[in-house]
This record gives sequence, C-alpha cells and structure tokens, in this order.
Amino acid sequence: MAGEDYRIIGKSHIKVDGHELVTGQAKFAGDLYFPGMLYGCAVRAAVPAGLLKGIDFSAALQEPGVVDVITADDIAGPNIMGVLPPFDQPVMATELIRYAGETVAFVLGETRKAASRGAALVKPDIESIPPLLSPEESLKKGARKIHEGGNITFSKKLIKGSIEEGFRESDLILENQYETTFQEHAYIEPETVCAVPAGDNRITIHASCQSPFHIRGHIAANLNVPMSKVKVIQSYTGGSFGGKDDVAAEMGILAGTAAIKLRKPVMVIHSREESIIGSNLRHAAKIKIKSGFTKEGLIKARDIKITLDGGAYASESPFVVMKALIHAAGPYVIPHIYVESTAVYTNKTYTGAFRGFGVPQVTFASESQIQEAADKLEIGALEIRKLNALRIGTTTATSQLLENSAGMVETLEEVESNPLAEEGFREDNLYLYGTGYAGVIQGISNGAEGIDVVGASVQMGQDGSVLVGTGLSELGQGSRTVFAQIAAEVLGVPLEMVTSRLCDTDSVHDSGPTVASRGTTVGGISVMKAAGEVKKSLLKMASIMFKTEEKNIILKDGFAVLIFDDSARIPLADVATAAYWSGFPIMNTAFSRAPDSEYDHETHQGTIYIAFNFGTHRMDVRIEKATGKVVVLDHLAVHDVGKVINPMLMEGQVEGASLIGFGLGHMEKILYKDGIIENPNLADYSVPTIMDRIPTKVLSVEEYNPNGPYGAKGIGEPPVAGAAASFVNAVSQAVGVRFDKMPVTREDILKAIGIKRREA
Amino acid sequence: MKIEFICNGKNKAADIEGDTRALDLLRQELGLTGVKEGCGKGECGACTILLNGKPVASCILPAAKLADSEVITIEGLSEANGDLHPIQKAFLDEGAVQCGFCTPGMVLSSYALLTKNIKPETDEIETALSGNMCRCTGYGKIVAAVKRSGELLEDNHGR
Repeated sequence: MAGEDYRIIGKSHIKVDGHELVTGQAKFAGDLYFPGMLYGCAVRAAVPAGLLKGIDFSAALQEPGVVDVITADDIAGPNIMGVLPPFDQPVMATELIRYAGETVAFVLGETRKAASRGAALVKPDIESIPPLLSPEESLKKGARKIHEGGNITFSKKLIKGSIEEGFRESDLILENQYETTFQEHAYIEPETVCAVPAGDNRITIHASCQSPFHIRGHIAANLNVPMSKVKVIQSYTGGSFGGKDDVAAEMGILAGTAAIKLRKPVMVIHSREESIIGSNLRHAAKIKIKSGFTKEGLIKARDIKITLDGGAYASESPFVVMKALIHAAGPYVIPHIYVESTAVYTNKTYTGAFRGFGVPQVTFASESQIQEAADKLEIGALEIRKLNALRIGTTTATSQLLENSAGMVETLEEVESNPLAEEGFREDNLYLYGTGYAGVIQGISNGAEGIDVVGASVQMGQDGSVLVGTGLSELGQGSRTVFAQIAAEVLGVPLEMVTSRLCDTDSVHDSGPTVASRGTTVGGISVMKAAGEVKKSLLKMASIMFKTEEKNIILKDGFAVLIFDDSARIPLADVATAAYWSGFPIMNTAFSRAPDSEYDHETHQGTIYIAFNFGTHRMDVRIEKATGKVVVLDHLAVHDVGKVINPMLMEGQVEGASLIGFGLGHMEKILYKDGIIENPNLADYSVPTIMDRIPTKVLSVEEYNPNGPYGAKGIGEPPVAGAAASFVNAVSQAVGVRFDKMPVTREDILKAIGIKRREA
Repeated sequence: MKIEFICNGKNKAADIEGDTRALDLLRQELGLTGVKEGCGKGECGACTILLNGKPVASCILPAAKLADSEVITIEGLSEANGDLHPIQKAFLDEGAVQCGFCTPGMVLSSYALLTKNIKPETDEIETALSGNMCRCTGYGKIVAAVKRSGELLEDNHGR
C-alpha cells in the first residue's frame, strides 16, 4: 500500500540480465548456431503494386551454396498471417503484390551470403499496376480495390454528448489540420528468427520478438501442425518497440517451413534495408480538429477526424485506429466529443504497432491546437491544461469515471514547481528561443483491444533460490528485473537469490503480446499472485517449524522470522526443503486477468482501461537563426506512474521514449517516391545519435493504482507523445509560426524563419 | 589467404577469402558473438572492435586488415576470473544498458576514449561515441556511465 517501506520495490537495482549483456555473452537470436544450419533470404517485390505472373528461380538454383527456393506453394497451411482480423496478409504473395518489399519467395543457402546472392538471382515476373499511394487516392470514387473488402482497413467513431451544443457554448472556435509521417523503429538489432526442428517431432523457434504466443499460433497454423508441437523461445531481443510483432511471425513461418522441408535448422536475419521496408512502420496521419473553447479557456467541444495511412495490410491498424480514437481529445474533461478514426489501405509498407500506437500523432495535433487556443485567449500554457485536466471524479472521452490514480494535475503542478530561469519566447542577435508544453494521457494495457491475461510461474528451490518466469517479453525495458524484484519482495529473499528466466511458450499461460505499456502492470500482478502462493506454503511450513500461528511470521532477508523476536529465524532454504518433504507446493503457475473493458461499440463510450498514465512535458529550445539548427536546452518529463518499482529503469524508459518522440517531432522521415522508400538505411533516415540527444530530466508522481503491483502502472509509451508534442510547441513559439506537420526539421525551421523575415 | 593476429590477448590464425569481413571472421570462426551486426554498412557502430586501440566498424573492414594487428572485442574486457571491467560495471550501475545490443560497441568506444583521456568532458564523450547508435536509452545514462567509468579507473590507477 502507499507509504509502506519496501526492501526491494522502489530501489534502483541493476538489471538482472545486465552481466551477460555487458560482457557480450548474451545470445541474441543471430548469435545462435546449430549444426547443419542453413540461412534464408527473402525475395522481395520491387514495385508497389502488381500482378505476380510467375517466378523464375532457375538461375538462383545454379548458384553455388544455394540449397532450395520455397514459395507460397510450399506453405502447408493457409499462407495467411496478421495480428488481427481481417487477417489479410499472405506470408508470401501469390497473385497480387501490394507493396514494394513484399515477400514472394524464400531462398535457402549454406551461408548467409549464398542465400542473399541466390535471392538476388530469383526473377519474379510482376506486371506493374498503378499504385495507390495515399489515403486520398485510395478513397477516391472508383479507385482500384487493394483488398476485396475495399480500401478502408478499419474505421470507428467515438460520440460523447453533442458537439453542436458544445460549439454553441464556445467563444472561440479553432479549426486546424495536422500531419505526421511514417516512422521506423530502427532497433539496433534487425529482426532475426531461427527455426530448429527437434528430434522429438517438435520444432523450436528462437525469435527476436515481442509476442511469442502470437507467433506460435501463426507458425503452427501455417505449418499445419498443432500449436503444441511448436515451441517459441524468445531470445535476448535487441529492442522491439512494436516492430517485432508481425514480422517475427512471417520469418518464423518461412524459416519453419524450410526447416521442416529440408530437415535442417534455418536462420533468417534481416538486412537493415529489409528491416525498414519489410516490417511495419508507424502510421502516417492526417488529423483535422475543430475545437470550441470558452473565453476562460474551458474546452467545450472537439470534433476530430483522423485518417491513418494503413499501408498494404491491416497489421495492427484496427487497434491503432481505436487507440487514436480514444486518446485524441487529450487528458481533459470535455463534455462533447466526436471522433472519427479511419485507417486506409495504400500500396506502401504496412503500418502497425510502434511505441505510442497512435497516441503520439493525435497528442501532437491536440496539444498544438490547445496551445494555439491558450495563446489566442492569453491564458498560460500550464493554466489552460490545469483548468481542463482530468482528475478523480471526472470522466474521460469514453465517459469512463476516474475513481483513482489520476495524477494529471499533480504532473502539471510538479512542472510548475520546477520553473525555468527563463522561459517563453526570447530572442537575441543569433538565436530564437521557445518553450513548449504538452499534456499526455495513455491508457495502460489492452483496454478495448481484447482479453488481458498474463501467466507467471514462481518456483523456489530447496536451497531457497527462486526462479521467476512470465509470458511477457524482456525487450530491454527491464521487465525481467521488475518481476524479480516483485518476487523477491513477496518472498522475502535477497534479489541475488532470484533468477528471472527468458520467456518460452511451453512454460506459462498464453500472455498475449508485451505491448501497450502493460508489462509491469499486468505482468507484475501475475508474478505477485504466483509468488503469493509459494509464500503461503512457506508460511504454513514455518508455522509448523516455529510452532506458532502463520500471522506471527514474516519472510525477510532469506529467513522466516518471528515478528516478536527478530533473532528467531529459520533460513528459507530449510523451510523450503521441509515444505517439499511435507508436501507443500513450492512452485506456482498463476494466471491473472485484468478486468474486461465494457463499452458501446458504436459510440465507444464505456469503461475501457484498467489504468491511465498521465504526463506533462516541457521543452525549451534554442534555434540558430542563420542555420535553423535546434538545441534543446531543457526537457522536463513528469509522469504519474502509480508507484516507481525501479527508479533507474523507469528513468531509462522516459529518456529513451522521449528521444524517440524527439526523432518523430524533429528528425525522422521515411521518404517515399512512387511507392518506393528512398532512404532505407541509417544514414539517410535520421535516427538520433548521441550528438542529437536531449537533456531529459525525469520526475515522477505516484498516484496509487489499485490494479497494479504495489500501485504501479506502465510508462513505456507515453513519453513519446509528450516529447514530440512539446517539441513542436516549443519551436512554434520560438519561430512565431504554428508548425502543423511533423517532423519539423531544421530545413522547415530555416524556411519558416526566412518567410517570417520577409513578411516583417 | 592465411593471416595471424592477436585477439583479446591470444594468438590467432585464420584462413580467409579476399572478401571475408572482419565481423564474420570474429563471430563465426572465433565464436566472438559479442561483436554484433546492426546494419552491415558501418552506420550504427554495433560491430565496433578495437584495432590496435582504435575503434573501427568490423562490418566494413576486410578480415585481411586484421593481419599482424591487435584486436580487442567485448569478450576481451572482463578479467580472466570473470570480474567485470570498471567500464562494464559503470554501465550497469548507471542504467546505461537496456536491450544490450549496442552495448559491446559503446563500451569499446568508451574504452578507447578513456585510455587516452580518463576525465573526458561531455562533448568529448559525445564525439567519441558519435558512431555508436542506441535506440533504447536516449544516451543520457551512457554519458553518465562513461564519466563514472573514468572515476572508477582513476581509483584503480587507470587500468
């Protein structure tokens, strides 16, 4: 409970998997080797839309080292994958090419070089057809249908109150349109999967991935084997951020099909270019907002239309549509809201999950307009946000009543109590300065996206050591560490006695994907449950050994201790051994289920999230007038995280997410020309380097969340939105121009400064 | 062709082709999978090794260039008894490791810097690590880790 003194919760323990990472001993999927292993390389369509007439692989089969080529015909199952209905994505194209980069064949070679040389020699015969390259083109009357069901991937509405009434009550009405571009995950480890047929008639898939259970399902279906024959082991994963959901299934199916056909292990590693063009990107978005404000600054109504470029296949577009829908109005009390959120098919790389999941795009739009309103009404940036902020007792855009853990105002106040020496618009001979603010809300865990369950196992050995496992993925964020901390706290053992293992699909209940900032929140509860059951056995045993009631015993520092005599202690190793020999189970596999969401599917009104993360960001920038170069002088990110389980890891999440948001707001742009990505590499696609880093200072507010372990709630995604939106507000103030497109690059800034100068 | 070089303090010999990359020789022939491949084009720094003390991208380095040289990979940094090098310890203590994929390259670039300059300024750290990309941490804790490494090394009389 809030205010309690914990031994391990709330402390900055180093990562439990840190040693093997920092010594290079950790085996990522591409570091694995199996005797006889072959390498696979995809053959990809080079045009964005076309009819696949045939494939000539005669030249490829002649190439030394090339062992085989497989196509859609070799897939035993339906040749379908996709995270969600409509499951519209073939693993390998058969008749239609829908994006440049789509896989049409898979070459197997004795070396990686032979496989890729072979892939270059495979000639797909594709008759090009004119591609549809924007949602506008795809929605035009008479436009070719990219999929049989038409060109709308998914569309949803949110209706609260009556916007007509709200606009009637408004003194100021603003109408704006905002745009964002595609963003690439750019994890440093490219996607990698290795399929190993085992001698026991099962197949093991080692994958750099985020959703091991999801990919198990797709691999089994396409290999046409029972799911129980497939074991997915999640390898050490070099970052994912949402990018290794879909594509790991594709690679697993290709590698698995080849592995079974050739009876050899098959390794497939994407090149950086494949990683960019052949796996999902963040949705580009166009957002129209019309909002009504009273002259005091109260938001009365918001009418929002979101159009997402969904790319060639559905991927997670339906959920991104929903999340954007729910979050577009911002962390504010607004009586009248109408949102329409639509994803549209185009002949481009499919778009899907990326840290933030629609919230960064709509937050930028919403916060830009709110800042414009604040400026027009001459109300302070923090003031207008505080005036409208959600708090306990108010309802969200979906009319969900906030009964607890709603620290939006607290984050605004924390920013207020950390003022800058100077802020706002400033100018000197060389520079322009500006300070931007953004308020963020992000629902934690699956919400309306479906069932929210996690499996965890906790096992104590007879030596008192503990083994913890869950069905969720460690992606660098520190989930294995957090779970170890929780188990250690519950069982009263030192953290050094706890081992947190990698995730595999044999060992725990299907836990869904590690997404939506749900790891600590729902995974943590599940670990508490499992550890709690083991604790019961230990207390039962200890009560027999002490000859006292269970309530007189606590577990601490590796001992069972009498509460009224600290020197009366039995090592937990002895208790565990006795428990085993007495038949008290010292292992538990727990299943936890978060409360379901309940809402009207037509209006999206109802109770959707088990918790919300709230945040306020402030960014202060300096712009060099002559060059447009931006330096972030100060960045403060304050989030309500419920309870900080590990301060150092929590800061790491806010700092990392913020830089991704900064990249989205300032530097990163996928450049498309005629449906082809022109910059599929890390030189021409500007991922922030250390030279671009921003001085993020992280503060947190703890508004206890009853649905999370020790009151905690997630933090992985919200800072992306906060950093991007506050950046654009800052540069807009500095230049004196409302930038309505992200990224706002140095070029854009320099151009705007020039235009302003000419106007003056 | 046959080449000989010293790798992590040990004499090594290898038989290579003209187009063998140093990265592949180290990872596959010598089993040093701590050297990572992130892009294959020398753009991300995940494959950084120390060649005669200088950080280089092993993915664009012909293996032939290793001949008669001294190579250090991340595997060569820990003590013989398994103890962490102070830089490795600092990276863990400061939270500079998240997914860990960029870490071997970051640590080696840091090692090269600290060997020349045990008390680097922030901008010197940034320049030294400008070729090592990280997508997880935002770099702040990496800079803190390098500074902390310098302090630890000074305590150990700059090993």
